[in-house]
Order: sequence, then C-alpha cells, then structure tokens
Amino acid sequence: MNIIKNTVISLLLLISYAAKADVVVIVHPSNSVDFDQSSISKLFLGKAKKFNDGNQAVPINQEESSAARVSFNSAVLSKSGSQLKAYWSKLIFTGKGSPPQEVSNDAEVIDLISKNPSMIGYVDSASLTDAVKSVGKF
Amino acid sequence: MIKKLICLIAVNCILFAGVSRAEINFSGFASINAGKVMSGTGVPQYGVPPTFLADYPLVSAYSKDISFKPESLFGLQISADLMDNLSVTGQIVARGADDFDATIEWAYLSYTLNDNWTIQAGKKRLPLFYYSDFYDVGYAYVWMRPPADNYTWQIFNYNGVNALYTGEIGDWSVSGNLYYGEEDDKDNKLLSEFFFLEPTREIWRDMMGGVLQLNKDWFEVRLTHMTYKNERFRSGERTLFDGSESRTGKFYGLAMNLDFEQLFILTELNRLDLDGDLDTSMVSVGYRLDTVTPYLSYSQFKTKGEADGEKHNTTSIGIRWDFHSSAAFKIQFDDVKDESFDLAVAGDSKSITIGIDTVF
Repeated sequence: MNIIKNTVISLLLLISYAAKADVVVIVHPSNSVDFDQSSISKLFLGKAKKFNDGNQAVPINQEESSAARVSFNSAVLSKSGSQLKAYWSKLIFTGKGSPPQEVSNDAEVIDLISKNPSMIGYVDSASLTDAVKSVGKF
Repeated sequence: MIKKLICLIAVNCILFAGVSRAEINFSGFASINAGKVMSGTGVPQYGVPPTFLADYPLVSAYSKDISFKPESLFGLQISADLMDNLSVTGQIVARGADDFDATIEWAYLSYTLNDNWTIQAGKKRLPLFYYSDFYDVGYAYVWMRPPADNYTWQIFNYNGVNALYTGEIGDWSVSGNLYYGEEDDKDNKLLSEFFFLEPTREIWRDMMGGVLQLNKDWFEVRLTHMTYKNERFRSGERTLFDGSESRTGKFYGLAMNLDFEQLFILTELNRLDLDGDLDTSMVSVGYRLDTVTPYLSYSQFKTKGEADGEKHNTTSIGIRWDFHSSAAFKIQFDDVKDESFDLAVAGDSKSITIGIDTVF
C-alpha cells in the first residue's frame, strides 16, 4: 500500500515538475524598482496600480491556456486558474475592477514591454532577451 | 421584455456608433441549478408545505418535487468604455425564480477620478453583506449560495451614488465604498409572496452606508455600517410603526476570512437594529484539493429578546468541483432548523441541490 502511495506521489511530483517551466518577471530596462513576490502579486491582482517609485504600472497577462500563465499563477500569485477567475468575477460583476490585458505569447509580452516603461509582464525563462529587464525568476 | 432588450441594444449601438473607439465589453454568468426537499415539516399553522427557502429576497423555494427554476439564472453584463475615465455598465439578469423574465438589475455610470477613487451613479446592488453584490455570480464563491439565514433582507438593489476606494497602507490592501441612495420596491417579492401574502410596497429611503475592507496575505476583514428609513404599504394601506410613518434601521456587519493555500475559513457576523435586534452569523470551512473543494457551513438568524421571535439555522455540507476552466459543478446538502412558531419561515427541511456555475 505504501509503495503504491509513494509511487503515485513521485509520479505526481514528476508530472508537476515536467509541466512547470520557470517564469521570469520582466519590466522595461529603464525601470529600477525592486520587486518581490508580494509587490508583483498586488499589481497583477489589481490591488496596487503603481510601482514602488510612484510611477503608473500596467500589468500584462498571458492567455489562460499558456504554460507561462499557469506557472506564474501558481509560483507568484499562489492561486489556481479557477481561484483567480473567481476572484476577477467578483470584481468585474460588481464594477470594482477588471483583469490585466492579455496577450498571446512571450514574444508579444517582450515586444510590448520593451517599448513601454510602465508595463510589467512575465515570460518563460527560455524566451528572455536583452530588450527587457528581468526582476525575478519563479 | 426581449423587445425591450433589443431596443436597448439598438439604442446602445446607435449611441456608441457615433463615438470613436468606444470599446464595448460583454461578459456574463450563468447558473443552472436543480434541487428538492427530501424531508421537511413545512409550517402547518400557515399551511406551508415542506419547503426549503434557498434565497429569501428572490423567494427561491424548493419543494418535494425536483425543480430547476428557483436558483437558475443567466446574467449578461455590457460595459462601454467612453474614454477619458468614463464608462457605463448594465447588467441584465433573467432568473428562474421570476420565470426567466429578464430585468436590468444594474445600470450605472462610472468615473475614475484617480488611481484610488471611482465615483459611480445609477442602479446597483446594495452591498450590505460580504457576498451581497456578487450574490448572483455563483462561480465567485464556494457554496451553492451564500448562507440563506444571513441573506434575508427584502431589498437588494438601490438607486444612488457611491464612491469606491482602492489603495494601500503599508503592506495592507485597502478598499472601501461609501454610498447613498434609496429603493422603492412597488411589489416586494419576499414580503408580498412569502410573509404577508398581500401586495406589499417596501421603501428604504436615505440609505447611507460605508464598507471598509482590509487584506494582507491570508487575512481579510470587512466592516460595514448602513442606516435607512423604512416605510411600508400593505394592500395600499400605509403601515404605521408605533404610530409613526417610518422607522430607522441600522445595520452593522463584520466579516473575517482566513485564506491559506488549501484551507480557508469564512465568517460573517451581522446585526440589524430595527425595532429590536436581528442577528445573523455564519462560519464556513473549506479545503482545496486541487480542483475539488469540500466545505462545511453553519449559519443562523435570531431575533433578540422576544419570547417567540424568528429563529432558524442551517447546516450545510457540499463539494465544489472546478471541472472546467470556466465552470464549476456543485452539490450541497442543507439541513434547516426553524425554531420559531409565530414567525416561522418555512419549517425544518433537509434538501439537496446540484448545479453548474459558469462565467464568460
């Protein structure tokens, strides 16, 4: 019984490692703010609208089905996709907020952020380029 | 009603066609629920058969026959960004409890003053309890419905203005809402169909309230206070309260939520002081196991001081299963104990409800 349980647990761990790509949170190269998990979370949950230096912050999300989004949700926001959808439903249908703008892939996130100092986003660590600045790997 | 809806959409299109780049967003929510009373006492002294009143204001009542109507609903939200920080939002809801007759439940203008303040005006849901303003959006909470013993007030919309605040104090996220408005419900469903059995017009004037919500990591607290003046007409006759044409209600609410990654505890404690205190409370505990969340809940309502006041409680157990990225399946068992006689609501009952909540 224990052997089966251990095997199942190891398998589950393997699967979750395989599915989890590292994501890097990125900003414009000119952005010199220090970030931690909590400050990034607040921006992506609509709880903060400015960077710590007082400048406007615009979070950029990726499409729901993307692997980067799934990793970002669990590693940075510590919530599942369903929990986040429930969270945003509550705000959308009570007129209290709307979720971040979504784009469809890493290249698009990098392109947008390289041109706009107020944006913050995330991409798979393998996609990172010099056009943007990494402020944390999760 | 459908004609009215088409007219409204047409008017919107005409209005916004002329505005350059007005962005119109559609979103919505739907719940398809079914349930039945497995056993119940009803209220013999009032001729009420075994009934489970799942939602007071809408009179969503289940009987011993399985029914899909009491809590099923479809909501559509249309939001138009008029640029320069102004937007207009409407929410049309069709409820099984009202034979799916679609009505506009929210219609408001929203003006963003700055990063912290937004001013809104129009028709909105009254944010009395923690779950009041998103009560219709089943996907947004764990249960089949927020505990019925708590959500018993007959007025759930208001017309007025409000100011929303979002900000931060140190590590705490702060949000707040200040509102003022009124509601004149010409034929109040709960009072007319369930309690008095005669056409009842319920008026809440000078509603003035505030909500303050603080959140840090896994902890959240919500404090609220609201006052209003109540006037009532039964079958066209003005009701006098101790000889006076109106009476004042004062509402106080405290909600505290602890949300760890898997375990969460939700609580609410409310008091309405309206010719005496009406107290409601609830506590729920849930545990997230990947996509499946089992939960337990207990809620109660009691009037204070009176020998035979209104007193009832509900113990619920259920499971939410997020089987799809935009839909959740729920099943819930409710055991209601109604301990009042003169003010009996629907008697004791044991019921089961199942359903699917979606957002889109």
